[in-house]
Amino acid sequence: MSPVISATVKPLAAMAVAIGLLAIGLAALGANPAVTLTALLSGAFGDWLAVADTLLKATPLVFTGLSVSLAFSGSIWNIGAEGQLLFGALAATACGIHLARWSHVAAISAVLGAGAIAGALAGALCGWLRTRFSVNEVISTIMLNFIALQAVSWAVHGPLMEPSHSYPISQKLPAAACMHWFFPPSRLNCGLLLAIGLAPACYFWLYRTNSGFELRAVGRNPRATAFFGIAAGPITVVAMALSGGLAGLGGAVQVCAITQRLFERFSPGWGYEAIAVALVARLNPLAVVPSALFFGALDNGAQVIQRTQGVSPVLVQAAQGLIIFVLLAFDTPILARGRSATLPHHKQPADA
Amino acid sequence: MQNLLEACAITKHFGATVALDAVDFSARAGEIHALLGQNGAGKTTLMNILAGHLRPDLGTVTLDGVAIKTASPQTALRAGIAAVHQSPMLFEHLSAVENLALGGFVRRGLALNEVAERAGAMARSLSFPVQLPPKNLTGLSLAQRMRLEILRALSFQPRVLMLDEPTGLLAPGELSGFLDLLRALRNRGCAVVFITHKLAEAMAVADRITMLRAGRVVDQTSPPQTTIEQLAALMLGNAVELARPKKSHRRGAEVLRLEGLSLEVDGVALVDEVSLRLHAGEILAIAGVDGNGQRELAEILACSRRPTSGQILLHGQPAGARAMGQIAVVPQNRDQEGLIPGMELWENLLLSPALRRQMQTAGVQRRSAAIALCSVLLKRFSIRARSPRQKAADLSGGHRQRLMIARALASRPAVLVAHDLTRGLDVSAAAEVSRIVREFADQGGAAIMISTDLDEVFGLGDRIAVISRGRLFEVPTANLTIERVGLLMAGVGQHR
Repeated sequence: MSPVISATVKPLAAMAVAIGLLAIGLAALGANPAVTLTALLSGAFGDWLAVADTLLKATPLVFTGLSVSLAFSGSIWNIGAEGQLLFGALAATACGIHLARWSHVAAISAVLGAGAIAGALAGALCGWLRTRFSVNEVISTIMLNFIALQAVSWAVHGPLMEPSHSYPISQKLPAAACMHWFFPPSRLNCGLLLAIGLAPACYFWLYRTNSGFELRAVGRNPRATAFFGIAAGPITVVAMALSGGLAGLGGAVQVCAITQRLFERFSPGWGYEAIAVALVARLNPLAVVPSALFFGALDNGAQVIQRTQGVSPVLVQAAQGLIIFVLLAFDTPILARGRSATLPHHKQPADA
Repeated sequence: MQNLLEACAITKHFGATVALDAVDFSARAGEIHALLGQNGAGKTTLMNILAGHLRPDLGTVTLDGVAIKTASPQTALRAGIAAVHQSPMLFEHLSAVENLALGGFVRRGLALNEVAERAGAMARSLSFPVQLPPKNLTGLSLAQRMRLEILRALSFQPRVLMLDEPTGLLAPGELSGFLDLLRALRNRGCAVVFITHKLAEAMAVADRITMLRAGRVVDQTSPPQTTIEQLAALMLGNAVELARPKKSHRRGAEVLRLEGLSLEVDGVALVDEVSLRLHAGEILAIAGVDGNGQRELAEILACSRRPTSGQILLHGQPAGARAMGQIAVVPQNRDQEGLIPGMELWENLLLSPALRRQMQTAGVQRRSAAIALCSVLLKRFSIRARSPRQKAADLSGGHRQRLMIARALASRPAVLVAHDLTRGLDVSAAAEVSRIVREFADQGGAAIMISTDLDEVFGLGDRIAVISRGRLFEVPTANLTIERVGLLMAGVGQHR
């Protein structure tokens, strides 16, 4: 099987298997799988508003999915897209509420810039900690997720709290800092276009530039890159900054395009779902877009079947998790007949 | 005397290579049995089989006359066979005592503080100083790690203790104490198998000596019946007598000069005041047993490690970072350092800093140029690959080696440094890569071949030097004999 085909077939097969398992789960719970899955599908794509909603649900997943696939491509396990997204949303809100008198373009640029920078700083911090003090980035990024959560909570209870001080939400962003909705009542906006545009940019950086090459090489064989004088430290910090910046930008877009304000539980876990999105996309930035759409559709459909069929959306989340398991199973040597290129190469007996 | 451990007609293949060919070996209680041989002679493979890490293709291992059937480290340990590996196998993030507890102490259900006490007592009774840092092992020197591993092996109270090149990591002053430890263990009735390539150590401490060469036992003897010279000749074989350096090479201008290059780590000089001059058209072969500073020297020349002192001059000028691009290095360890098996062939070319610089415009890779270059190189060096887009892992070992050489030569370097150029290659592939290097030198390049293989050293080197304990000794062509090189490699008769 050619690599391109196997890279496409495996995720699709995994999705199919997971949906099959979801159907079994539905049947076990006494729901009619056919009816429920049809409802899920029409919830996600039934009419143009449903499609719009699916696209909107996918947008933050594209940003965070790109963030994760960039870092993972260098074997940097950034689990902190969630926190980086929240920092981005926080910075975007804090900046945006003061920009009432700015022009639309300038205000939007400033808000998005603030979000990206905040996320990049959070990411770069973890990259630097790994480089300088060998702090495992999995731990530092997860910890920073909690800090980000608390920071948002503190902000909406304190400095950013809306003027009447009765709700733990921020003040609404001024119109200048809010993205235009193209086709009300849908909230379709420029954010999705930005996200889709960033996918090829990420791909270009990873696969066409020297620094992207260095990141992938360091991730695959740090001993070889060290021998040839590629320093792992700087590229790790750069990759984490880019990764964090993408997630932060996703948070900023969410604020100025959809919610127009900040509140607690701002993210339903986009940063974590992004890991699934990136893995299903095989860390390929171009594939992140369809992968995010798939997960966005499931999220959207899950809400609909909860309303119409009384089926808990938790079941759909479980199915999303199953996809990863099925994908991993496809990669095990038994199923891949021992020719998986992702497995580390067996050391030749050096003293033979 | 009764044999305690006996291995009969052990044969082991790794793919097409025969690592061990019908090897007989035995160990007796109260004896130090030195197992000698060059790198690749099969010493470690034999130990791994005896310790249950590997299963022999043919042959039997018996302890006390009872065959050990299922080979696993657990059964070997339970039967009383313990091994100390060449590079210490310790748990980096556990404390020293915890590392010991994972040995034989825990089997007897001891608490951690008791483990520390027992280990301390054991170390004292053998007058064997060991440091037990309370946290993890960071900062512990390699020699101390080796001691820790020995202590852990002893905690199993083995009847047979096998040590694989244990002295390679010791500082010169620690050697006699270590040999005393081996004697103390022997006097307690332990069967000690001491694997080494250092002939003097074997002569000093062994009761019996078994010499392996290319997977076969070539001699069984004991120190009173032999001499270091005889052992050296045995170890190296006589194949090398055939090839001698060609003295008629055209020698051009000086290209590379190393002046007093040293690298110190933890107070040990891994590279010790290395100086040399290399001229265009010349191949300098550096012979030496692994672990004597070759790797570090190669790393310094590859610019991935900074020397503690000394300098490198290229064409008479101190070499800056940019000039160092003119030194292309083929690292020793193909798959761990030389290539990224999961990446495509053309991408592997770009690991070379010089090529990466050439194949880019403002940080963007000139991808099609790199792929085209790769195609050309595949053809020129007859590398068997379907296309430059293939993964490096799909090539055979010999062709991966060629790819590394092709990469090194593609940037038209002034100096080529190759470490273990022909390791793992069959005769014809080895001859082919040797020819490529010869051609490079004939066209005015200067090359340094670092090798443990004397065939390669004598076959390819215009000049020959030996590296031992980080020091480089050039052997004048006038008194260039196999014995002399062998003795220098074995660390005997080193004079400046």
